[in-house]
Amino acid sequence: MDDTSTAPKATTTAKTTAAPTVEQSLYEKRQKIYPREVHGTFAALRVTAVSVLLGLFYGVCWLRWDGHQAVLFDLPARKFYVFGLTFWPQDFLLLTLLMLLAALSLFFFTALAGRLWCGYACPQTVWTEVFLWMERKIEGNRQQQMKLDKAPWSARKLRIKATKQFAWIAFSLWTGFTFVAYFTPATDLLAKTAALSLGPWETFWMLFYGFATYGNAGFMREQVCKYMCPYARFQSAMFDKDTLIVSYDEARGEPRGSRRQGVDPREAGLGDCINCTMCVQVCPTGIDIRDGLQYECIGCSACIDACDDVMERMNYPKGLIRYTTEHALEGKPTRIVRARTIIYSVLLLGVASLFFYLLGSRAPLGLDIMRDRNQLYRERGGLIENVYMLKVLNLRDAERAFEITAAGIEGMLIDGPGEPVRVAGGDVAEVPVVLRASEAELPERSTPVTFTLRAADDPTVSVTEGAKFLGPGR
Amino acid sequence: MELLAKTRWMPVPQRFGAVMWLSFLMATAATGVFFSILDPDDLRYCVPFPEVSRMAAYTIGFFLFWLLTAASGVFAVMFTYPPNPDETPRKHG
Repeated sequence: MDDTSTAPKATTTAKTTAAPTVEQSLYEKRQKIYPREVHGTFAALRVTAVSVLLGLFYGVCWLRWDGHQAVLFDLPARKFYVFGLTFWPQDFLLLTLLMLLAALSLFFFTALAGRLWCGYACPQTVWTEVFLWMERKIEGNRQQQMKLDKAPWSARKLRIKATKQFAWIAFSLWTGFTFVAYFTPATDLLAKTAALSLGPWETFWMLFYGFATYGNAGFMREQVCKYMCPYARFQSAMFDKDTLIVSYDEARGEPRGSRRQGVDPREAGLGDCINCTMCVQVCPTGIDIRDGLQYECIGCSACIDACDDVMERMNYPKGLIRYTTEHALEGKPTRIVRARTIIYSVLLLGVASLFFYLLGSRAPLGLDIMRDRNQLYRERGGLIENVYMLKVLNLRDAERAFEITAAGIEGMLIDGPGEPVRVAGGDVAEVPVVLRASEAELPERSTPVTFTLRAADDPTVSVTEGAKFLGPGR
Repeated sequence: MELLAKTRWMPVPQRFGAVMWLSFLMATAATGVFFSILDPDDLRYCVPFPEVSRMAAYTIGFFLFWLLTAASGVFAVMFTYPPNPDETPRKHG
């Protein structure tokens, strides 16, 4: 295999960081990136986003709602609980719309503000941020980490590395546990874990998700964004010259060069960039933003914070690297309202309205009809008989009684439970029903009939489903 | 292997990874759609193994979908290669 031929151009920019450790990884000979810690407006924003999102992920599985876990995807029972709402398989359209809504929001925000998702909300960013924080707490800052990795193995290095691995693995296992807790009730899961009596599925998914977290946030890091992420590959299709991007102001910065503090750059024939390479050192994907817009840039804006800090110390105006648009850099006005954003927002509004309309108008009951599988029909007492199994779904949380009626054939008799069917909240009752009709009323082999399920306490709550009544035909 | 050196395509493990990862995503979506519409308990009468639990059915279904999507990916990758090793891909631009 020829590795050099596949190495992307990003490695050329990584030279400025001069990180010595080359590790063989999945995709290429990769220089480990040691992002320098950064403080500033956008770093604070990212820490806030990370805390809120992780807080939700690790916290929500412990919330209770009306006697059950607030958010629980109960796959064996085929029911999803989301706070006060219970979703059934027949609500599949809602899930599809929700996915569509998520995709359209991503397109809309990408067109408007670039890779906001990547920089602040993507699980890859969020968990990597936590793993980096742990690494920094245990191994020290960027220089200390690089020195430690270069040093020969010693008791001290072993102790530090073991501590880091222990923290990473413990955190990953907790993450795996939390993931499974959205499918198996968290309190049960905790009891089972404590008693070491987890089922095979739970064990597998806990380890699988934990391992994925450990691998992606501990080792793969920016490689996930560069090589594995489908969004990273197609996001450029949503970009135009009015999209917000993180960019270096070349006109202002060049020619770059070091200078003593207090020297007027114009007199020295220099731009505002002092070539301190701070922007390169803080970059989690190891690129140099001064080379222009690159697909590796996840828009995390760490370089903005780093550069603003340097500009402040140099007494230069901030924003040599800033959120801007290509049009703004060219000195043209930036248009927020344009064909692309209008189309995305109209689609977004349309799908959102449909979603909330369907969510609001969900019938709190459901009816599934299955024909008896053993026989098509039978004759008894001069009448033709068809047997059905009706599944009555009570989609509310409280118990309810339902009446079943049938229609479609003149003089048809219904032999059902006789009294309203009581179904517990969120439960399904199977009700056998026999329909009888005179052969004279059946001109065809198959005659359509309908079953209507109606709440006994509220006749306006009803659902009607069709079925077939089979006969000998004439 | 000679062909690879000549054509600068991704090495085998990476192509394998790309196929498996993307087919995994697609299989997840397909499993979701399939089992939201069909309850494995209702399929019980159609398959020769009636003793399968829902969770097992979901798992088997997922792996079958993965096999299918991965097979499609493998063939797609295979078909992007010239059938004759002497041919090199046409240069664009």
